[in-house]
Amino acid sequence: MTDNRSSTREAFIDALLEISKKNEKIVTIAADSQSRYGEFPNLYKNRSLNVGIAEQSMIGIAAGLALSGKIPVVTAYANFLAFRAAEQIRVDIAGQNLNVKIVGTDAGFSSEWLGYTHVALEDVAAIRSIPNIVIIDPADYEETFAATKAMFDYNGPVYLRLRGKGKEPQVYEKMESYKVGKGNILREGNNVAIICSGGAVHDSLSAANILKSENIEATVIDMASIRPLDKKLILDLALKVNLIVTVEDHNVIGGLGSAVAELISENCNNVKLLRLGVKDRFGTAGTEELLKKNFMLDDVGIAYNISEFFKKINDWRINSHENNNRVRRAGI
Amino acid sequence: MANIDIDEIKKTAEQIRKDCIWMSTRADFGHLAPALSIADILATLYKKIMVYDPKNPHWPLRDRFILSKGHGCLALYSILSQVGYFDRNLLRDFANKYDTMLPGHPEIKLPGIEANTGSLGHGIPLAIGMALAAKIDNKNYRVFVITGDGELEEGTNWEAAIIAAKHKIDNLIVIIDRNKLQLGDLTENISQLEPLEEKWKAFGWATKVINGHDINDLIFSLSATPYERGKPTIIIANTIKGKGLPVAENKIEWHHKVLTKGQYNALKDDLGLEELSND
Repeated sequence: MTDNRSSTREAFIDALLEISKKNEKIVTIAADSQSRYGEFPNLYKNRSLNVGIAEQSMIGIAAGLALSGKIPVVTAYANFLAFRAAEQIRVDIAGQNLNVKIVGTDAGFSSEWLGYTHVALEDVAAIRSIPNIVIIDPADYEETFAATKAMFDYNGPVYLRLRGKGKEPQVYEKMESYKVGKGNILREGNNVAIICSGGAVHDSLSAANILKSENIEATVIDMASIRPLDKKLILDLALKVNLIVTVEDHNVIGGLGSAVAELISENCNNVKLLRLGVKDRFGTAGTEELLKKNFMLDDVGIAYNISEFFKKINDWRINSHENNNRVRRAGI
Repeated sequence: MANIDIDEIKKTAEQIRKDCIWMSTRADFGHLAPALSIADILATLYKKIMVYDPKNPHWPLRDRFILSKGHGCLALYSILSQVGYFDRNLLRDFANKYDTMLPGHPEIKLPGIEANTGSLGHGIPLAIGMALAAKIDNKNYRVFVITGDGELEEGTNWEAAIIAAKHKIDNLIVIIDRNKLQLGDLTENISQLEPLEEKWKAFGWATKVINGHDINDLIFSLSATPYERGKPTIIIANTIKGKGLPVAENKIEWHHKVLTKGQYNALKDDLGLEELSND
């Protein structure tokens, strides 16, 4: 079924087709691009609707179907759901806590040459500001396949964040099941903990290998479950390391980095946080590789930023130690 | 149609109007005039047209009703209590109690409400979803929607119009409360809705223009839907905003104005209104 480098979009389709064999409540709605459901529209004609380029109505129609006992799935470019249809998502779906699955595609840098209109770097922030919606940002084919199944097992609104058509690097050999609200420890190290999601997971793992050569040992956590966040896992980590780093293919405002910042700022002492992601800027046109490099979100960029910050906080620590000594010597 | 039916519907509509005035004066809040214009339509729908069971609000085969112009909910609350979805005493809670079941726009937590509305332009897409579910399941229920006329300025209505026509959603009946006023002005001073019937016709809908206060006309027009197999239905109901409360009729400034307690008491005997109490 997969060459292990297939896209998250393909994983979603594969899982959808598997689940649909047993679940007759699923109705797919497309805003023109029905191919994002693979064979589903051909197999289940009366449960497939193409509303055309009308994301807002698509969401409203999905809500009406859910109010009538169906399990609707909607899909479109992440931005056109999270922004164009934000009000319908807020009022019709989240406000009524309906069992609708919202699948945003081409998130992060995967829209490549389409330009900033399509580069989805704020979608999580928009959705995360709305109550009730579970947000899943899976790392690769395997995780997306398992997360799609988990999404349909969960009774409530879910935003699943997928990328483009292109092949994607493999993170997991095999994932038996995905648990909403749980992070996955991919690698363990004592100096720094990297919490990442989606298209940033593979690069974060490579960055951890680069850091090892600088004697910085990193734990890497895949936090596909941006909401609900695995709070326990993060708070436990905060007791073990001095530095937590978040990495996301998203603006540092409002996404995973913000979620982690909100948690540790109110609950932890003695842990520093570095948020890596896009720094309050729009995306632009480019290959995924070029975009990541320019935003310093490729493995080298991530490792460089972590290493520099690591040195900086060590300097702070030394300075603060010297300050304490000065204070002590002065007898203040 | 037996006269008794019409008299009963008229009485029901009168009670809706009294309840709207009563609730909004008690709360010193509410969109009174937009509720008064739909009283006759709601009374006809719930007393004569729709099939439902107030003791079993989620009965799968029921006809659905969505108030897309959610701000007109005073009238909806009244009719739902009159047909037995909940006790009349609950009307006292309108905008009068923290986290009330009867807020300024309707929510599904109240029995009989099919969808949360209040943000305009949401009703028709929601109704398409419900109507489509009936088609998928081979059920025969219909979905009725009331939209405002000013509400048609929201683009989603026109998105939904071409979607419903394309997919032949003929179990969808949309009634436009054509009172020709919106919050800030006459609708035609703000946007060009006319020629309204021709627009919907051109969008592939079966259309009819009626007097939204004439019960005979309402019964006849609502019973005969869908007018054409394979087409969704639009009924343009010409109405008067504030109908039944002369001081509010056709007045722009009455979009969300309510009577003072003094005005209420002065009108009480003339209109046969209930005592205002402070409970």
